[in-house]
Amino acid sequence: MILEVDQLITRYGSLTALHAVSVHVAEGELVALVGPNGAGKTTLLSSVMGLLKPSGGVVRFEGRNITGFDPAANVASGLALVPERRRIFKDLTVAENLRLAGSTVAKSLRRSRMDEMGDRFPALRSKWDVSAGFLSGGQAQQLAVARALMSAPKVLLLDEPCLGLAPTMVDVIFELLDQLRSQGCTILVVEQQAQRVLSVADRGYVMRTGEIVAEGSGPDLSGRPDLFDTYIGGS
Amino acid sequence: MTSPGTGSGTDVAAGPDAGRARASGASRSQLRSVALPSLLANWALLGVLFAFGALYATGGSSARDLLISDLLINLVLVIGFHIFIGNTGVLSFGHLGIASVAAYTMALLAVPSDRKLVLIPKAPWGIPEIELSPLVASLIGVGVGVVVAVLLGLVAARTSGLAATMITLAFLAIVRQVAENRKDLTGGAQNLSSVPRLEGWSWPVFGALLAITIAVFFRSSKIGRLAVATREDELAAGAMGIEVFTPRLIAFVVGGGVVALGGILRVQSLGSIGPSQFSFEFTILILAMLVVGGMRTVTGAIIGTVFITVGKEITRFLGDGPDFLGFTWPKVDGLPDLFLAGSLLAVLLTRPTGLLGEFDLGRWISTRVRTSASAPAVVAGPDDHAPVVPVPRAPQATRDELVTNGLGVVFGGFTAVDNVSITVAPGRIHGLIGPNGAGKTTFVNLLTGQVEPTAGSVHIGDRLLSGAPYKRARDGVARTFQNLRVFPSLSVRENVAVADLIAHDHRSHRTGVSVDELLTLSGLSHMADRVASTLDYGNQRRLEIARAAALRPDFLLLDEPTSGMSSSESLEMVDHVRRVATAIGAGVLVIDHDLGFITNICEHITVLDQGTVLAEGTAEEVQRDQRVIDAYLGSGHA
Amino acid sequence: MTEFVQNLIDGLGNGSTYALLAVGVSMLFGVMHLVNFAHGELLTIGAYVIYGMRSNDISWWATIPVAILSAVMLSVLIELVAFRRVRTASAFTLLLTSFAIEILSHAAWRIGVSSTPRRFEAPNIAFKVVEVGPFNIEIWDVVSIAVAVACFVATAVMLRTTMFGLSIRAASEDFDAARLMGVKANRVISGAFAFAGLLAGIAGAIWLVRRGQADPRMGAEPLLKAVIAAIIGGLGSLPGAVVGGLSLGIAEVYFRSWLPSDLQGLTDSFVFVVIAILFVVRPQGLFNVASAERV
Repeated sequence: MILEVDQLITRYGSLTALHAVSVHVAEGELVALVGPNGAGKTTLLSSVMGLLKPSGGVVRFEGRNITGFDPAANVASGLALVPERRRIFKDLTVAENLRLAGSTVAKSLRRSRMDEMGDRFPALRSKWDVSAGFLSGGQAQQLAVARALMSAPKVLLLDEPCLGLAPTMVDVIFELLDQLRSQGCTILVVEQQAQRVLSVADRGYVMRTGEIVAEGSGPDLSGRPDLFDTYIGGS
Repeated sequence: MTSPGTGSGTDVAAGPDAGRARASGASRSQLRSVALPSLLANWALLGVLFAFGALYATGGSSARDLLISDLLINLVLVIGFHIFIGNTGVLSFGHLGIASVAAYTMALLAVPSDRKLVLIPKAPWGIPEIELSPLVASLIGVGVGVVVAVLLGLVAARTSGLAATMITLAFLAIVRQVAENRKDLTGGAQNLSSVPRLEGWSWPVFGALLAITIAVFFRSSKIGRLAVATREDELAAGAMGIEVFTPRLIAFVVGGGVVALGGILRVQSLGSIGPSQFSFEFTILILAMLVVGGMRTVTGAIIGTVFITVGKEITRFLGDGPDFLGFTWPKVDGLPDLFLAGSLLAVLLTRPTGLLGEFDLGRWISTRVRTSASAPAVVAGPDDHAPVVPVPRAPQATRDELVTNGLGVVFGGFTAVDNVSITVAPGRIHGLIGPNGAGKTTFVNLLTGQVEPTAGSVHIGDRLLSGAPYKRARDGVARTFQNLRVFPSLSVRENVAVADLIAHDHRSHRTGVSVDELLTLSGLSHMADRVASTLDYGNQRRLEIARAAALRPDFLLLDEPTSGMSSSESLEMVDHVRRVATAIGAGVLVIDHDLGFITNICEHITVLDQGTVLAEGTAEEVQRDQRVIDAYLGSGHA
Repeated sequence: MTEFVQNLIDGLGNGSTYALLAVGVSMLFGVMHLVNFAHGELLTIGAYVIYGMRSNDISWWATIPVAILSAVMLSVLIELVAFRRVRTASAFTLLLTSFAIEILSHAAWRIGVSSTPRRFEAPNIAFKVVEVGPFNIEIWDVVSIAVAVACFVATAVMLRTTMFGLSIRAASEDFDAARLMGVKANRVISGAFAFAGLLAGIAGAIWLVRRGQADPRMGAEPLLKAVIAAIIGGLGSLPGAVVGGLSLGIAEVYFRSWLPSDLQGLTDSFVFVVIAILFVVRPQGLFNVASAERV
């Protein structure tokens, strides 16, 4: 297991957002995490990355306990998160966004990684010296992913990469997920489009009110008739 | 229907004004039940400390006398700062500027004419000839201080945070500079001496008692409670119909008046006045007293004043190089300042709410008394709020519809909500669902005015809802927030009672349940005196709904009331929302992603996706709609 | 016309100190929403270092770097001991903490040295005046302006090209997102304090060479001006802080030359009134470059 989350508990004041959640991701897997609004998916990713401090449980990365580590340390050791709503630096140019994102890789490699991103995302290459605030939604999402890839992560976490994107851009993002997986990248993705993401995922988890309520292979989960009920409450 | 603590409430009057009388009765009795103990307790605390001080002073020189009167006068100033800062959460550096103006006014009017002809012969407006008694001059001084506070407050209360702080800081600097430069009027850096001197403690004692009284009554007054609500959460206060500016301005002026009194007492005690007397350094001293003790309560102000004054006195004694404990201490200049800054820093770094935090002696005592008196009555466990209470029917349910016409908003090219027209029938529970990012919360923000629409309008009946959130709240929409916004450091009862105050003034045609009935209805009555932030999550949610209901709205807008709740808690919430809505006779628009919850509770459902209405109808109709299923599961390309 | 240009030169000399301080104030506001009223104490420590070294006849060439270094170190120390512990606290607590540090520093100098000023002799260059055409130009004004311009250029280059500069800009916009890029929170904040301390140390050196004395409360007034300058420029905007500092310096000189003599003492008051109006009308500042880009 390259990433293992064991009985993780995270609280916001009086609200317990994660009730002892356990999730694991094996090397090379594409794992989908789905569930309704407020289920705790973003909280889970933030707790893994160290943006939030869990109050119980363990996060292991490559067998090492990284619970509560600083996000910067986690990035350096090979985890990366594409945050919800992208959060690119609008006052920095595209190139500057990428350069900063490469802060943890050796200086000699940085330039070539940036070139690689330019090849992978031609739309960004043409906007290299433009302030990121002027990018379209799709371009901004590509930049957000490119930023995470700059640190050459072993495990990539994505939080709702398709949120607010036009359908054609959604296709592009799904293609990208597929591509990354075929290149050996391990991925844990939170996605609103549950059926679609589960149909391409190796495995999936369904979360609801801070708990994992179902898990299984991606296609299995996506075909389950009770998913819709689980998902939006059932009747 | 009154709880033991408010048993002194007035009798319910008959007739159409019954609800109104009941509401005001509850507020008044509550005011009495909190203000009086608080007043007496804080007076007593001051009395005890004063007795100690007197004991200390009788054994020593007149310097000790001076120390006691200094302490009392500083207390007046600290309480003046407390009235504004403690109740509004806005930091002011300018109040000593007000004190300075007031004290100069008093001094110019009260200094003997023959002295003024020597010191400031060229003063305008015939000031050198005037010679008023100290009392009259003091009253005029306070009056001028209040006028200045109104003028400054009109600017400062419009802002908050850093802006208010900088404006008041600038005012303090301006007052000092003017005092230094208008030598004809103030004598400049050369102090204006021969101010009629106060002898003894009587005036400072009177001043301190008066300041405590004003602070206690202000805190429990209507304006004071509204100001505290804005301190707790400006956004939530607005959604409860509370306008921020007026309470903040009044707090600024009342605090200014008390500080003016303190400034006058100080100058009379010193016997002279100069531009540097109300300096920035002195402001920091007063603020340190307030912050160290706890800025939110009078007890905190008293304790902080005593702590810093005594500490400074001890360090001054040690710094003077005394022979003490058998050896001679080194002479250290600046030791009292070191103590001041050190204790301020220590408190800020370790306990930013001050030594006492929210603790007020009077409130503590009255809560104790009330809890022990009502203890046998508490039978319900924390989660036992089954519908044992018969739901009272609202006497006047709303008959108007809530209608949106082509409502929409564009954020910098991104259309978040597009042309949404819905109608919520009176008294009905209407559901609004949709996947993440569908624009549900934005839609509610458009209804309640947190976001200005770029298209469309909102009506209740034939009334157009427009303008700031507080205006719309008064017009009949009350909301809850997705991310829970109770007033954290107020008690459960105070949370609900604040909304009730607004209802009393602006929603009196829609009477019905009282605050206590709402608390009982929400299963919160046995924890009414607990601080809201100590409640568990589910109870905070119920409290937020109870607070919104206390506004007696025509429509309740609930933004994800079951977010973060388990299935069984959600079911309880269904029951709860229904009971509350029935009790106040309001319609409900409830937003949720949870279809189970929505179908249980709603007669009619609207589905939003990507900012537009995707489907509408009864629960079954919506559930069977393929477009809805696709929108939720993103199965379009599967 | 001559007077106009003369005032401009004086004002720029004056304003370059404010601007150097204001850039630091604005930078700290950007990364942690702190208006650091303790920042002026960095001038004070520089002054006492100069006094200490000069009274032992150590050369100015050795004294100035040590004075600047002391400002950097104190700035970092203050963050480490105090601000780190209240990093996530309210603006209210942050502001009061900075005032407490200011007062603590005043008291410490009074206790450690004395409350009476300590004087040191200014070097000859400090007051040398050369006549260029119709203008009397103080050499030190020229030095001040040149050093300040060099600092601004260096800062701009640093912000655009170095990893540290990118971290500062990113952290000012979205602190958590910057941490997700591998930016270490402690390091970027410490670095910002060090850099702001460096600029304050340089500003101090320029100013102190002419001032010729050290006293416990000396840092308060220039810092207040710097805060005002940062506000004029829009807190968090570094170009704004430069513009704000220079315009404040120039405005002061013009006010002084235009105001009738009996209102001379009220120069600051006029400036304050303008600031108060500005804050009500345009709370985001006059020259908020950063937010203009964002729109």
